[in-house]
Amino acid sequence: MVLLSPGIKMRVGPGRLYVPLTDALNADGYSVLRFDFYGLGDSFGELEERFLPDVYNNIEVGRYVDDALTALEWLREHHGFSAFVLGGLCGGAITAVLTAERDASVVGLLSIGMTVTLASNSATPAKYLTRKEIDMRRRGYYRRLWKPRAWWRFLTLQSEYDVIWRSMTQLVFGANPPPSRAPDLTPVKEAGAEEKGNANPLFPGAFFSLLERGGKALLLFSGNDRQEAEYDEKFAQRYAERLQHYSSQVDRHLVANANHVLSLREWQDEMIGVSLKWMAKFDN
Amino acid sequence: MMEQPFFFLLEETRLFGMWHLPRNSVSSTAFLMSHPFGEEKLWSHRVYVSMARALANRGHRVLRFDYRGAGDSSGSSADTSLATHLDDMSMAFEMLVANQPSIERVGLLGLRLGGAIAAVFAERMTGDSRLANGPLILWDPVMNGASYFHEQLRSNLTTQIAAYGAVQEDREALRARIQKGGTVNVDGYEIGQPLFDSCARLDLLHDGPKQHQGPVLVVQIAATDKQAQRADLEALAGSYPRGVCMRAIEQPFWREIKTFYGRADNLQRMTLDWLEHERV
Repeated sequence: MVLLSPGIKMRVGPGRLYVPLTDALNADGYSVLRFDFYGLGDSFGELEERFLPDVYNNIEVGRYVDDALTALEWLREHHGFSAFVLGGLCGGAITAVLTAERDASVVGLLSIGMTVTLASNSATPAKYLTRKEIDMRRRGYYRRLWKPRAWWRFLTLQSEYDVIWRSMTQLVFGANPPPSRAPDLTPVKEAGAEEKGNANPLFPGAFFSLLERGGKALLLFSGNDRQEAEYDEKFAQRYAERLQHYSSQVDRHLVANANHVLSLREWQDEMIGVSLKWMAKFDN
Repeated sequence: MMEQPFFFLLEETRLFGMWHLPRNSVSSTAFLMSHPFGEEKLWSHRVYVSMARALANRGHRVLRFDYRGAGDSSGSSADTSLATHLDDMSMAFEMLVANQPSIERVGLLGLRLGGAIAAVFAERMTGDSRLANGPLILWDPVMNGASYFHEQLRSNLTTQIAAYGAVQEDREALRARIQKGGTVNVDGYEIGQPLFDSCARLDLLHDGPKQHQGPVLVVQIAATDKQAQRADLEALAGSYPRGVCMRAIEQPFWREIKTFYGRADNLQRMTLDWLEHERV
């Protein structure tokens, strides 16, 4: 197992999430490598980006795939491993799937909060929110209706007016129909071609590449996170028929109520338990 | 410069360390770096690495390490306290002087809670000439442990609201849970009674005049130059025989902000200039 670092956090992951996961995998007999990408953690190099969304965006389009490939090569050469499961949270998960596309020795993907969108578009959030996210935002506005601070923000031009407007128009006029599905077995489009909105054009091709060669994937999502809705609305619904062919290779689990980084112990324990059970599929 | 990760043992605890060693012109002053608590450590990690490398490029041998329950060290934050942090720092200091016998002085550098721990450690080590005369650098130190952990509990409340739509346990309930021997999760780190209570007694100003004889730099990290000078940090610097307080314009890089902080240029330059001025 190679656990790939998420975002700019170093090899332990946010809230040290990767530490108990590593300990549990070790206890079950799996070797685990954690390492720092170029310019992060204790590794050498300097990142040139000034803003976090730009760093995240560059990770989402594969900045660290070469680093991950180098790690696999090092494990092959120095430790004799021949098959790998790549795992990671958010940016680590997208790096894992993009790496899997380029290295056939990757047999599994342990994805925690897979991100299928590009972060640089977060500057215009209203445009790219999923229907589920908009519903959640609207419920939040209702809760804050009686709070003077919320009204102060609204009256002093500090609120997200575009998000408020979209959430209310969706309430009045109903949700837009779901995006049309990709035709059954249509080859995945090349990166950058005809993708709508902020969906990461690299994800579908990489994910199907892993599945086509028999790879397995565990997709873990958190209940209080936008990642699951984005995965469904910006990928799974569009490729539903094609995904159906690989249903036996893809497991999915939702950690109810959990936040993006699974900060509470019970959420972590659930994630670890599901991961260990899934890893047993590779024992033979 | 050479960098070498390693582990060292303190009884059953495995602590992670990282050497930053200059290749040439080795200074007789080495540095031991004390990191902040919880997620503040991760957000500020790269600034620490950059500072350690800058010190090594200046000829200093530098040891960074992870307290138990943090980073790559073993253990859980639930089992830590101010005493375990001081034990860990003491062990790291022993590692430093044992592996680098030619050093004559050891400087301490700490940010936030790591700064407060460094300040307490320096006062406890006034009998050791290597530390007593070494530079002490406190970057925006936590002045009052009770206030600091009070703020930390707020993060748990935010998590509750996000997860359940409402606060299910308020701050008093969280405190009561800690006092009954339970833990409270703050951004993935469990806080238990030993840490909560021991740090509640941490008050850098309350202790009065300090005994540390080396030069001391207390840095206020201010987001803009319009931010007022902090009287408490001035008073802290004034409590040392050779203390000085300065202000560096930097964003609070120990939290999640929009800017990617690979290096805190102003803070780093100010600190290195001060070392030059103090002829360290």
